[in-house]
Amino acid sequence: MAVIKKDELAKSVVEEPTLMTGSMPEKDWMDIPAVFKPGNYAYPTKPEKLEYLNSQQGVSFPNARAWNPEDEDWKLPENWQEIIIKGLADRLKRFRSLKIFMDCCVRCGACADKCHFFLGTGDPKNMPVLRAELLRSIYRQEFTLAGKLLGKMAGGRKMTVGVLKEWFMYAYQCTECRRCSVFCPYGIDTAEITMMLRELLHLVGCGINWAMEPVSNSNRTGNHMGLTPQAFKGNVEFLCEDLENLTGVKVNPTFNRKGAEVLFITPSADVFAEPGIFTCMGYLLLFEAIGLDYTWSTYASEGGNFGLFTSNEMMKKLNAKMYAEAKRLGVKWILGGECGHMWRVIHQYMDTMNGPADFLEVPKSPMTGTVFDNATSTKMVHISEFTADLIKHGKIKLDKSRNAHVKATFHDSCNPARAMGMLEEPRYILNNVLEKWYEMPENTIREKTFCCGSGTALNTEEIMELRMRSGLPRANAVKHVYDKHAINTLACICAIDRATLSTLMDYWVPEVSVAGVSELVGNALVIEGENRQELTEGLRTLV
Amino acid sequence: MTKIADALKSNEAKILTLWTERVLDTYVSSDFFKKSLDRFANPVGSNIREGLTQLFRLLVAGATSQNFVEPLDQIIRIRAVQEFTPAQAVAPIMDLKWVVRQVFSEDKDCRSLLTELLPFDGDVDRLTLHAFDLYMACREQLHKARIRELKSGTYILTDSACASALVQKNLQETNKSCAADKA
Repeated sequence: MAVIKKDELAKSVVEEPTLMTGSMPEKDWMDIPAVFKPGNYAYPTKPEKLEYLNSQQGVSFPNARAWNPEDEDWKLPENWQEIIIKGLADRLKRFRSLKIFMDCCVRCGACADKCHFFLGTGDPKNMPVLRAELLRSIYRQEFTLAGKLLGKMAGGRKMTVGVLKEWFMYAYQCTECRRCSVFCPYGIDTAEITMMLRELLHLVGCGINWAMEPVSNSNRTGNHMGLTPQAFKGNVEFLCEDLENLTGVKVNPTFNRKGAEVLFITPSADVFAEPGIFTCMGYLLLFEAIGLDYTWSTYASEGGNFGLFTSNEMMKKLNAKMYAEAKRLGVKWILGGECGHMWRVIHQYMDTMNGPADFLEVPKSPMTGTVFDNATSTKMVHISEFTADLIKHGKIKLDKSRNAHVKATFHDSCNPARAMGMLEEPRYILNNVLEKWYEMPENTIREKTFCCGSGTALNTEEIMELRMRSGLPRANAVKHVYDKHAINTLACICAIDRATLSTLMDYWVPEVSVAGVSELVGNALVIEGENRQELTEGLRTLV
Repeated sequence: MTKIADALKSNEAKILTLWTERVLDTYVSSDFFKKSLDRFANPVGSNIREGLTQLFRLLVAGATSQNFVEPLDQIIRIRAVQEFTPAQAVAPIMDLKWVVRQVFSEDKDCRSLLTELLPFDGDVDRLTLHAFDLYMACREQLHKARIRELKSGTYILTDSACASALVQKNLQETNKSCAADKA
């Protein structure tokens, strides 16, 4: 280390901006390599998880090995370039959307400043257009005449290890939230470009453990956590005991019961982790209050589908489990809990992957008679539309004063909002269970909602800084409502949100905690024969 | 210090423009962070702009240190989670010295004050030290968040091996060694 001369240092501190010249771009983006260091990448998949998945039918996850993104050598298979280019060719043939997305971007830049990763990092490769360009440049080089002839002049470049490393860096700095797509005049779904990048990376054994371990667990035991049927049932029953202590209402859910009218599926985090368990208590109370004939399944015990973040085959396989279980149990239709990406899978992919689910009936609320035509093909209804319908028909009694301790704002979870248009139902519910709640600014809600910053399996602690900066745009809007109205609750309808927003709030707006909408319903619910204690914090009250 | 305070006040616009610009220049996409004034569409740019403006006004007004916490936090909390070294994260505060000298040296009325900036430098130094405290507090908070997530228990459940897979593996290994023994 150089010896620092005192007078030189003093001079440099007051007269020269040496520390300030951090990161001005001096090179073309193609010439700036991705540099991996602790905190900016998620850990690779454990080889045993990948080996297990690769042994399963219908999916392929080859080239399992121990490797480290920080190492020069990623231990790629010898013919990795060929694998990637063939993989891309195959996908261009199978997915017409990919071919269109590769061709039709005019680089207008409308998406550039809409990504929360870009807004939090200022890294140009986080502009959706440039993130797509990482793949598009290879497409041009290999699959267009101009690219083949002119190479870099036509925006093409060779597939090198550097490019692959760049893909790994930026495919995992996108939460597939699709905010950018809302602004794209051509409707390019950048999330699908990220999905393709991740699929291609999987061909050469490059994936992240936080995605693949939940996938492997879901495939094996039916849920992300790897809960066995006994543990899953035990956890729900534990919540029922709590409910009885709090409200005097005895809740008796059934498991794997054949012939029930409805199969209920929710993210397993609702059964297992705070604050999701309070949302789960809300579901349990609601179903008890209306006397719903429903069952849980300990096999289809996961609403979430990390296959969506992995490969389309994996997504299809995990999604199929829910329908196989519905078939086995002989239910009429499926009711789904507060989950984010589960609904994207159901709403946008299920029908062409595993549907139509003709063996089920078009969902009809047994309480109100409402037929959910919107779910004609998938046969799956969202808990918020189901609850809103109950309220609309006066089928449940709600006491807003039981939520007097809650001053809330509402976060539109990306997937229910943008992938299925679930905008009004949760708001309608909030209007009916809270005296008053406050919206965040217009350009941060509804279709334009900002992501929690940790979706698509990026909810892992080794990239905490990355999560905090990508979640900044969301937190910044919450902070605004907090400053203005002193709110204390951020309501949402997604299990990943409930986990990630809790950590995000803790860093940016620590006065605000996170709650599922169904928890607030549970708080306000008046049930015949109840013997409710003084619950100053609703279902969270310790008694 | 009043002479300096007056000079700072009369040059507020120039100083803040230069200071903000230089701080936002530490980001690769500085143009966007500088241009967009919508605080929700551009949280980094607008929070840093607001924070620096506040800090400058408090400095000129000779406010007590407690008042500096909020605007300092507004800036440092963001930089503590971005890809800066600790020095780079707090450097913007110290940079005010350079900015003020630059603006004063271009203004003939203020040029004579260049030699009298020592007390002002002291204030900026103290502010920088506060910034470093805040930076460390933010980093501590991140580590705690990490530990909390680790302790939330998911690992206990997910990191255990599948019992039936283990049985199968043991069986295979036993078979293999039996076969080897026979051979």
